[in-house]
Amino acid sequence: MWQVYFKELTELMRDKKTLIFVILLPIFIFPVIFGVMGLVLSSTTNKAMNAEHRYVIVNAEQAPEFTEALFYHKNFKKVDSDLVEQDALAQAIRDDKFDVAIVIPADFASKRQHVEQATWQIIYNQSSQFDFMYRYFNELLTDYNEKLQRESLTKLNVDPVKLAAIIKPVAIEKQDTAAKRENIGEKFGALIAYILIPLCLLGASYPAIDMGAGEKERGTLETLLICPISRVSIVLGKFFTVLTTGLAGALITVASFGIWGAIIGSLAGMSVVEEAMSAISITELVLIFSLLLPISAVFAAILLAISIYARTFKEAQNYISPLTIIMFVPLVAAMMPGIELNAKTALIPIMNVALAIKELIKGTADYWMLALIFGSTIALAGIAIGFCVHWFQQEKVLFR
Amino acid sequence: MIEVKQLAKAFALSKNNKLSDTEKQDIRYSKEAFHSVREVSFNCGDGEVLGLLGPNGAGKTTTLRMLSTALKPDAGSVLLNGVDVLKHPVKARQQIGFLSADTGLYGKLTALENIAYFGRLHGMKEQALKQRIDELFTLLNMHDFANRRADNMSTGMKQKTAIARAVVHKPRVVILDEPTTGLDIMTVQTVLDFIKGLKQVGTPVIFSTHHLDEVASLCDRVVVIDKGISAFNGDIAEFTALSPNRDLREAFLSVLQPVAQTTIKTEQGVA
Repeated sequence: MWQVYFKELTELMRDKKTLIFVILLPIFIFPVIFGVMGLVLSSTTNKAMNAEHRYVIVNAEQAPEFTEALFYHKNFKKVDSDLVEQDALAQAIRDDKFDVAIVIPADFASKRQHVEQATWQIIYNQSSQFDFMYRYFNELLTDYNEKLQRESLTKLNVDPVKLAAIIKPVAIEKQDTAAKRENIGEKFGALIAYILIPLCLLGASYPAIDMGAGEKERGTLETLLICPISRVSIVLGKFFTVLTTGLAGALITVASFGIWGAIIGSLAGMSVVEEAMSAISITELVLIFSLLLPISAVFAAILLAISIYARTFKEAQNYISPLTIIMFVPLVAAMMPGIELNAKTALIPIMNVALAIKELIKGTADYWMLALIFGSTIALAGIAIGFCVHWFQQEKVLFR
Repeated sequence: MIEVKQLAKAFALSKNNKLSDTEKQDIRYSKEAFHSVREVSFNCGDGEVLGLLGPNGAGKTTTLRMLSTALKPDAGSVLLNGVDVLKHPVKARQQIGFLSADTGLYGKLTALENIAYFGRLHGMKEQALKQRIDELFTLLNMHDFANRRADNMSTGMKQKTAIARAVVHKPRVVILDEPTTGLDIMTVQTVLDFIKGLKQVGTPVIFSTHHLDEVASLCDRVVVIDKGISAFNGDIAEFTALSPNRDLREAFLSVLQPVAQTTIKTEQGVA
């Protein structure tokens, strides 16, 4: 068995494609992801926060104080327009003449006199992801509303001392029990799993194809089969090689994640990453790796079984592509909001590992749950290897 | 000594498999299975070279795969120097050297590594292996490219490496499946010389081929397989005697099923 293993490993080490998938990709994927995501996210948010919104205000004279506040707000820029009709305003916004229209009713001032409620209209495109404009508008309006309330109440001779309590009977003070890490882990933990798990499959798939279908295509399989060594040894030798590359990929990925996380975290302006990373200890990285181990074994066995069945390299690739897509289903499911690690999800392959990785990064992992995942994945790996061995004994698979 | 008795092998057909018209004419097809080899018997003594002839798809490769233990026969027996291949496949494998024209090498490994890998799989000790490889390199004149990777070798170099690989463990029986098909003249000569060399040292060789000149120059015995049955089994003199003109081609055709014979005869009549 080890003869087969070492020979396969030698061959792989001399192959450039393996090196790219197993070593280079994991090393460089994290800085790219951390860097690009961090930059893009922070720059777009900044941009959105500082954007200037062109506005049109109809019947401005009805609420001069509000108009003035809006005029002096740094994120708003007044645009002159004669339009008053709602449809015409909406069309003008679509035509990019301005960004927002505020319509104050023509009888607003008189309604104020009689203390009647009035409805203003704000017309703008609400599809933007960061709706900072409305937030700013709302802040101004809240202030304005409060100001009007005070005026009205003062007119009704309410005690000025009690005004605050009347206007806002309940004040809220938020206190967050979640550590900063938990917050970040919730957001990015699933994403890390989303990268780590496919990399295990990716690292293992090329060698697996090469060792099964590749061997058939090259015409070396038959010679190998008639060597005085049991087919179980051949399969296991090949299986361990695939597992090794898959794990090498995962190990390098985890290490790369740790190291790059620390490096990028130490850079100025990335304190969020630094805080999250500093909380993740070596123990957790080891645990992440030990969860990747059995799932990699499952991948290795399945990939090898497919590869042995296929007649050619191409055929094997055709079978493996849909497998890759199927694998993303539980991964995406694990990223869905509200999906949590419990006794049920701990038994769903791939998804359980993804959730556990998320929990580990959040720092809230339940060790019994991890044991359950580890055990169930090991059992699954055993079944997959057993199948692979059985499969390799079938003439109809070997000589198609 | 190789003794093959009443070997048979069928391959299951998938249920939705629709047979083509030519396949329907082949009596080996039934609804569930394709009886590739139905009854093949022959034997080959020490130092003898046996030529396995037959049309494409006659069952030659299947027969040789059963001999080499890659496939398991449904019925019949194979004895290699008294070792029952079916009962002791691993023991039998130690005696077999196998090579075909499309046997490949591991491209990323050098000639030396390719050969050493199979030597080790055959359980050879490092010292003996080293000695044997050196011996083979001298014999096949391979020292120049011993450390070249198979990917960068010429066809001739590859075939020499494949030969060395097939006999590194000093097999007591050598099985060759169309070893010269698709090779250039120089490389074919290397293979034929190698078979002659085996014959000289008394190793029985079975090889399948479509080239009757190879049969004429090398073989002591001839077996013709047609539609999964060993239609002829005898020595080369008996085989030649089948044709009044002592022509191997005519002899071969006379052994095949009557259908083929009549077509050929009509063609000859027209000519």
